[in-house]
Amino acid sequence: MPRAAVIPLLVALGVVFGSVAINYSERTVLPPLAEAYVEMVPRELGAPNVITGILLNYRAFDTLGEVAVLFMVAAGVGLLLGGRAKTDDPDETQRTAAVPPSEIVRHGADILVPLVALFAAYIVVHGHLGPGGGFQGGAVAASCILLLVLAKPEYRVKFAQLSVMESLAGLLIVLLGVAGIVFAGGFLDNRILPLGEFGALFSAGAIPLLSVFLGAKVGCELSVIIGRFRA
Amino acid sequence: MVGSLLHPLNIFIVGLGTGFLIPLLNRLGKGWVAAAFLAALAAMTLISAVCAIHLYYGGEPIEILTGGALPPYAINLRMGLAEAFVATGATATALLGAIYVLREKYAVMLLYLILVMGVIGMIATRDLFNLFVFLEIVSIATYGLLSLGSRPEALSASFKFLMATVVASTFFLLGTMLLYAATGILNIDDLIAAREGIAGPIAFAALMLLLGCLLLELKPFPANGWGLDVYETAPGSIAALVASVVSAGVFFALLKLMPLFEDYWVVIAATGAITFVFANLIGLSQTKAQRLLGYSSVGQMGLLYMAAALLHIVDAKAAMPLVIGGLFINHLLAKAGLFWLAGVVSRERLTDWAGLGQHPIVLAGFGILICAIAGLPPFPGFWAKWQYIVSLASHGKFVWIAIALLGSLLEAAYLFRWLALTLHRPAGAKDWKPSRLALLPVFGAGALLALCGYGAARMAGLDADWIFLPLIAGLAIVVLGCVSDPAQRIAAILTVAAGGYWLVQGMTGIGFLFGALFFAGSAALVIASLYRKERRPGFYPFLVVLLLSLQALPRAATGLEFFVLFEFVTLASYFLILRRPEARSAAFSYVLFSLTSGYCLIAGFAVAHAVTGEVSLSALLTAAPESALAFGLLAAGFLIKAGAVGVHVWLPGAYADSDDDLSAILSAVVSKAPIFGLVVAAYATIRSEAMLDLAYAVGCLGMLTTVVGAVLALRQDDIKRMLAYSSMSQLGYIVAAVALMSHLGWVTALYLTANHLAVKGILFLVAAAVVLRTGRRTFSALGGLVKSMPVTFGIALVGVVAMSGLPPFTGFGGKWLLLSAMMEKGWYLPIALGVLATLVGLLYMVRFIRAIFLGPPRGATHTVPEAPWPILTAQAILIAGILIMTFFPKLLIVPISEAIDPAFASTLVWEGMSLELIYGYWNPLPTMAAAVAVSLLLIAALWLVRRRTARLPGTARSANFYDHYQPLLAAVTPPWAVTFWTAVARSTQRLGMLAGRVYTGNGQAYTLTVFYYFVAVYMVCAAISF
Amino acid sequence: MISQTVLVTGLLLMLVGVWGMLTQRNILRIVIGFALMGTGSHIVIVAVGYVAGGTAPIVDGPVTVANAAARAVDPVPSALAVTAIVIGLAVIAVMLAFAIRLYEAKKTLSIDAFADSKW
Repeated sequence: MPRAAVIPLLVALGVVFGSVAINYSERTVLPPLAEAYVEMVPRELGAPNVITGILLNYRAFDTLGEVAVLFMVAAGVGLLLGGRAKTDDPDETQRTAAVPPSEIVRHGADILVPLVALFAAYIVVHGHLGPGGGFQGGAVAASCILLLVLAKPEYRVKFAQLSVMESLAGLLIVLLGVAGIVFAGGFLDNRILPLGEFGALFSAGAIPLLSVFLGAKVGCELSVIIGRFRA
Repeated sequence: MVGSLLHPLNIFIVGLGTGFLIPLLNRLGKGWVAAAFLAALAAMTLISAVCAIHLYYGGEPIEILTGGALPPYAINLRMGLAEAFVATGATATALLGAIYVLREKYAVMLLYLILVMGVIGMIATRDLFNLFVFLEIVSIATYGLLSLGSRPEALSASFKFLMATVVASTFFLLGTMLLYAATGILNIDDLIAAREGIAGPIAFAALMLLLGCLLLELKPFPANGWGLDVYETAPGSIAALVASVVSAGVFFALLKLMPLFEDYWVVIAATGAITFVFANLIGLSQTKAQRLLGYSSVGQMGLLYMAAALLHIVDAKAAMPLVIGGLFINHLLAKAGLFWLAGVVSRERLTDWAGLGQHPIVLAGFGILICAIAGLPPFPGFWAKWQYIVSLASHGKFVWIAIALLGSLLEAAYLFRWLALTLHRPAGAKDWKPSRLALLPVFGAGALLALCGYGAARMAGLDADWIFLPLIAGLAIVVLGCVSDPAQRIAAILTVAAGGYWLVQGMTGIGFLFGALFFAGSAALVIASLYRKERRPGFYPFLVVLLLSLQALPRAATGLEFFVLFEFVTLASYFLILRRPEARSAAFSYVLFSLTSGYCLIAGFAVAHAVTGEVSLSALLTAAPESALAFGLLAAGFLIKAGAVGVHVWLPGAYADSDDDLSAILSAVVSKAPIFGLVVAAYATIRSEAMLDLAYAVGCLGMLTTVVGAVLALRQDDIKRMLAYSSMSQLGYIVAAVALMSHLGWVTALYLTANHLAVKGILFLVAAAVVLRTGRRTFSALGGLVKSMPVTFGIALVGVVAMSGLPPFTGFGGKWLLLSAMMEKGWYLPIALGVLATLVGLLYMVRFIRAIFLGPPRGATHTVPEAPWPILTAQAILIAGILIMTFFPKLLIVPISEAIDPAFASTLVWEGMSLELIYGYWNPLPTMAAAVAVSLLLIAALWLVRRRTARLPGTARSANFYDHYQPLLAAVTPPWAVTFWTAVARSTQRLGMLAGRVYTGNGQAYTLTVFYYFVAVYMVCAAISF
Repeated sequence: MISQTVLVTGLLLMLVGVWGMLTQRNILRIVIGFALMGTGSHIVIVAVGYVAGGTAPIVDGPVTVANAAARAVDPVPSALAVTAIVIGLAVIAVMLAFAIRLYEAKKTLSIDAFADSKW
């Protein structure tokens, strides 16, 4: 693409963005919707982390959509990369074999993987209390797999198991949502369990449970995606 | 209330739940996956459909709440009637198309299912960010499904698609967040409620980002190369899904947010218009099936959002369900069906589709879908376009009407060219067997289209079910044809006769006269078709549709009914002409000119409707003087269809290249449909004096047509072409007579109509008999048939005498009446033209008799048998008609006069001359004297020409009397019209190819165009706002 | 002032991404351009949620249920950013997967080699 055609575009986009940036003034108070959330989440959901409360309850429908997106990406990347024939190009195979992971990487992974996994679990279960949650924890968990893939060429991602786990977690999330219709205020309403003591690990209704399912699902999905790219 | 199992929330639970379940089921077996997949889609369709039905019968819109809180705190979705209707269409289409992915990997079904759920989410959600999430769900599912196309070009196309749509969705995300920054609102209802307050640069940029994304997702010209490439290279089933179901979601999202863009509706309409016209223009030069469908798809979407924006501008809320719903469902089903068919056929190039017509089932499905896309009745697109035009006409938005019609014409051009390509198999083409199951969705789409078409017809205010009688009768004949061929023939003839007789009942006035003529002509000529012994697949069903529609025409009480039947006539005759491989190009120009004529009519009726506020044809009578435009459009439409000079180029091919018995029907009976229309239109405007100048112009055009037609007829060597031009010439007389706008003129018009019907029927059947017996159809190869075919000779003689205006037969009376009527109005130029044409007509008619029957026999023609009985029978009936008209003129003229009287009883134009006055007291001497004098002069001139050419050195004395005049005739009739229309066609095609140059195939260039498109939209809207 | 700075950073990052995706020939670099554009948009999201002097909307330490509305930044953009990031990741993953397939099809990563369908 000739740069001469791109420069006027960047100038025009710069004008558009500039008009936004110049006219933007920093907020001094919360908009009414946000204010309501800040009050509602601790009171109604019993969750100190307002963001998690929004994500896993009021906007849980979005979250369900995100889960679907990741699920589809895992499936789509599988379709794209899963069934392809192994390359016959000798250069390719040589190149991957030619760069074995170093000693430090191999042993570092041995030490780090359990720690990272533990950290992931912590982030997942404390999502309603502090920064974190299912997505973040799932991503950290998947980084274990990434580390293994990088450090141990012989490691094979177990697609079948991961796929089962992923599906089960997804189904459980949907079932939890349906339980909201039956036992609480509606689809994806987390108040099917008692709110418990504010700030405790087992509190905020089913939010921790949802976090765990989400963490499992996201972790599996990201691992599957990583695994597909490796093949 | 809908049962809780059928609550629309369950669409999402079923969709996602089954999606998550599919990998588990896959471990049990492939069959489980397919079963669950189909069951889930079926459940989603069922829920949507039940919601739609519930809401249609007055149910309250169903709110879908989530998260145990009310909006705006939690995300909510809504199923109103519009949502439920679009969702039902999308899920039903997806369900039909699911058949094609059942054999794919489980991941494909999973993506397909969640994609459909995502589309419903886009339709139903009331939260802006949730809309973004669903947009992404749909996009990512699409990317995954596109990977099914494994060819390198499919992968390239997918990547281009990916780049462009990721940019578009980034626009949406940024727009959503900036709008939140400006307003603090995410709920769409709240945003719409607060739209007055959405102002300032940030909010403006946010709105532009949202609008830019939605427009780009709808693939506007020229920022749509990425979409077209995917349509071209993706598997048919996936392209179908993207073109129909995905587009449905995006379109509905735009429709939902439309109130936010109130100031920019005109921009939306303009982008739609540009896309509609250019996509179809470029479509003209396409050679690949799926790419062609791609252009048609983006064009249709352009039309759809153009219509939506325009209806918002004119605030025509009542018209929206029919226009938007009709165009939407039409595109959805027909385009999906065509992509499916393209997938089943899997031949990339259009030319490779040749010969598919050998499979009647495939052809039927293909034809239905093409007609639907082209916006022809009885499919929903037709009624939607009608309502669109009516709604806009009443607000004076004529430019937008013209754009819609222009784009439709271009689209029809390439679609019908494609359809014609498939009909006839070239020698050596490979055999091909489609699987019945694979065609099921195509027919499902066709059936749903027909069903929706009926519903749309009702919504358009058509409550006369007998309009569909011709189609139903045609279908019945098709079914009968599968059983027995002779039974089909007999049934067809009986249906035409009985149906026509039934339809004529209850007609009055001029309608009754035309109805009786159509009935008599159809009943007589349809008998002649029995002379062909071979099986004629498709002939009788379409013949029944054609003749029944024609006979029903005078029964039409509203402009819409008239137009529907008129289009049935056009379509049925098009398919009949197309049956002969030689007639392909003739049929093509026939259908194009007919559609143009139809578009003039639809615009004319709509304008009349807008002026009077009435739909009834009789209401046209009270139309005010400002209906000049309406009359002009109607007259233009009917003149095109009657083959007036300048737009006559379709006529010779259509009449001469079609089947011999069909030529007789077309020229004798079908050609009277525009005449009837012209009389009706003249009725509409008779009271307005402003119309008289226009009428004079039409009269002159009519007489010019007569002269040109006659001269061209004289030039022909081919019998049928000669008769075709003769038809053109005779119709010119009739047009002129109608244009006289006087009592005498109209009496003459009807009299000439009856005369021409009988005569041209007879003469074309003579041609059919001659071609049948000798296998020749040129004058130069024929001669001396009088001995072997004496009866035919006698019949031809009667026909020629009756036509050429010689006493004692009807033509004489007709011409005399016409000249008298023109004298009465002081139309001297038309009189001169009329005399000239009569003389030329005499020459070619004499030649007809002389060259075929007299002179020396050529070849073995003296041994051929007489014409077969069906032809003779038909001719005998027509001759009986001529004799009755000749000897008992009052039998015809008195009812004509009585039928016409009401129109003139109180007008300024008519001065009260009665029938007795015409025959008894009016002095014909000056007319006759002038006619004789002019004739003598012309004969002298002819004689001079003959002497000069005979004396030229080197010119052998020709055996043919007429050869002398060929140079002269060629000089006075330069092929201007043909040259002109050829140039129009060529330059249109060139223009399309030129516009297509923006599609370089480079993904980065496409992405750049996407960005520039956004910038352009931003600038234009900024100019409007600030 | 903080949010303006972040906002401008995000928007500039987006422009850098646009520049990259339109001028680079190599598909992987183009994908990086997309990733930058996506990241830029996420930064913009975070920027518009900032409230002067605010802190994370988590009831903990100095933030109590009572004073949360006065102390916290807007939680909505943060919540939406999570979703947007996940979706952005998904899109980049798909793009990279296609890049691999494209490379396998033509043994090149130059975007110019993939101008297949025309006119």
